[in-house]
Amino acid sequence: MNPVLLGLYKYVDDMIDAAGRLRDSGYEVSILSPIPLGHEIEEALGEPKNHIRYFTFAGAICGFFFGIIFTLGTAAMYVLPRGGRPIFSATPTLLISYETSILIGVFFTLIGFFLMARLPYYKKRVYDPEVNVDSFGLLVDGIREDKYGEVERVLKEHGAKEVKRLEKE
Amino acid sequence: MGSDRTIEQIPYEDVNADVVRTMTETGRLYYIFLFLSMAGVVVLWGLPWAYQIYTGQGVTGLQTPAFWGIYLANFIFWIGISHSGTLLSAILFITQTPWRRSIYRSAEAMTFFSVMTASIFVFVHMGRPWNFYWTVPYPNQRGLWLNFMSPLMFDVFAISTYATSSMIFLYFGSIPDLAAVRDRVKGWRKEVYTVLSLGWRGTDAEWHWLTKAYTFFAVFIIPLAVSVHSIVSWDFALSKVPGLSKTIFAPYFVVGAIYSGSAGIVTLMIFLRRGLKIEKYITKTHFDKLGMLLVVMSLIWSYINVVEVFTGWYADTSFETESLRYRMFTPPFSYMYWLMIFTNTVMPLFLIFRKVRRSMAPALIISLGINVGMWIERYLIIATSLPRKFHPYMWNDYIPSLVEISITLGSFCFFTMMFLMFVKLWPSVSIYEVKEDIGIPFRTKKGHH
Repeated sequence: MNPVLLGLYKYVDDMIDAAGRLRDSGYEVSILSPIPLGHEIEEALGEPKNHIRYFTFAGAICGFFFGIIFTLGTAAMYVLPRGGRPIFSATPTLLISYETSILIGVFFTLIGFFLMARLPYYKKRVYDPEVNVDSFGLLVDGIREDKYGEVERVLKEHGAKEVKRLEKE
Repeated sequence: MGSDRTIEQIPYEDVNADVVRTMTETGRLYYIFLFLSMAGVVVLWGLPWAYQIYTGQGVTGLQTPAFWGIYLANFIFWIGISHSGTLLSAILFITQTPWRRSIYRSAEAMTFFSVMTASIFVFVHMGRPWNFYWTVPYPNQRGLWLNFMSPLMFDVFAISTYATSSMIFLYFGSIPDLAAVRDRVKGWRKEVYTVLSLGWRGTDAEWHWLTKAYTFFAVFIIPLAVSVHSIVSWDFALSKVPGLSKTIFAPYFVVGAIYSGSAGIVTLMIFLRRGLKIEKYITKTHFDKLGMLLVVMSLIWSYINVVEVFTGWYADTSFETESLRYRMFTPPFSYMYWLMIFTNTVMPLFLIFRKVRRSMAPALIISLGINVGMWIERYLIIATSLPRKFHPYMWNDYIPSLVEISITLGSFCFFTMMFLMFVKLWPSVSIYEVKEDIGIPFRTKKGHH
């Protein structure tokens, strides 16, 4: 498997310029950074879709119906007459459903995150601890053997303080 | 760079180093406090509780007609303290408030530990804690099923949902920082943080999904936190007891919870910044903003108190009048009541002055005073209502026993112990959000920051 190139930058705008240029040339680029760069990346590389909302919505709906079935089902299976009060009561049913909507919504959101971000992942991957401190990394993949020099030159032209050739797993 | 920054310009590298330092370098004073808090947990909490379990609930001051006492006052107090951490963090996240960034992690931890402390009081109050499983919702051979019409059952669901969601919120927001710690430590710590950080690398995709999911968590947390303290208030307000059956209790409890929680954050941050030497991250600007919040919450809380007294007086029923008289003009409760008014309505007015908000000693005194007042508020709600129900021949003052007072003090030791352990095991200041506050480095000025 061909190695990847990792350009380390001090400035975000330098890295984003390089990312845009290399992506337009057909390379696979991804960014490693110590902080979220939402707006900055979206402007340069386009806004990714937000699939997690479907998980959240599905979780909240499941939780709501779970709460309804749980409370009404309990009342139906184990009838507890309480001095003229209704066996099936709307207020506590909705209250419990409100809580279970949130609880299961939170769980589904968490699962959605794990699936979309592909975490947890404990095998070795291309990484440099500097990108969790004060450097912004531009990872370039899909480079042909004869193009490494050219990509490296582009990365440096845009201000990379260091370019590393790293083996993919 | 951001114009709304709350901290000075610090190199990114220093942020990582400083936060990891707070976890790995430990002074003697830390161990002394940890030992004292652990000793407090054993002596003030563990032993009296064991004695209570062995001897029975008779060692408490609980007797006819009041079987709810100081334990439940503590339960409400600690649930209240828990409120501002996660709730405030979520609100300030949604509104993109910059001064949230340095303080929210510890505030969220405060939430989690105070929910833990509060939950333990349910067991202490129970008398026979080994029978707790009777309340767990599952079919069983005894044919005992849950009564979902009971507000106590609402409580079980609300608080367990809040505790679970707060824990996830705290952990989830910490993942990038756990990875940052992983990269700097060695030995057993490296192994632990490697597992906890889930293989985080900080790719654009990971950040994208983290930010989106975190927003949804924050959106869930806000109505959840409001519902939790409303439901806690209904434990009382859905009864017919004078002094408890009040329609204003839900907003009163929610406001009181945010108020006491915010004061708890101020107290905690003063000790944290000094103890961990992180004054450059938790700055006077943070106390300035928190002070303003306390003034606002104090005014709302005071207004609700006036409304409660006014509507009780205006209703002019003998039960309500007696309830107010007992609370406001009968010693020893009257002393506590007027002390509460002083600490929660009068003292916070000094926070109107910027100089007071930005001075640590006055801020500490006022925030501690507010929490003393808020504890008294919860105590008075219980201690002046149930012993004074409709029939005077049933009246009987509730005086907590030494066992109850000791366990109450022990709960503060427990909370302190948990928090002291937290600051050594978890990054108590968010590394990546502090960096966001410092600003994103651009060569040109075309960026957002």
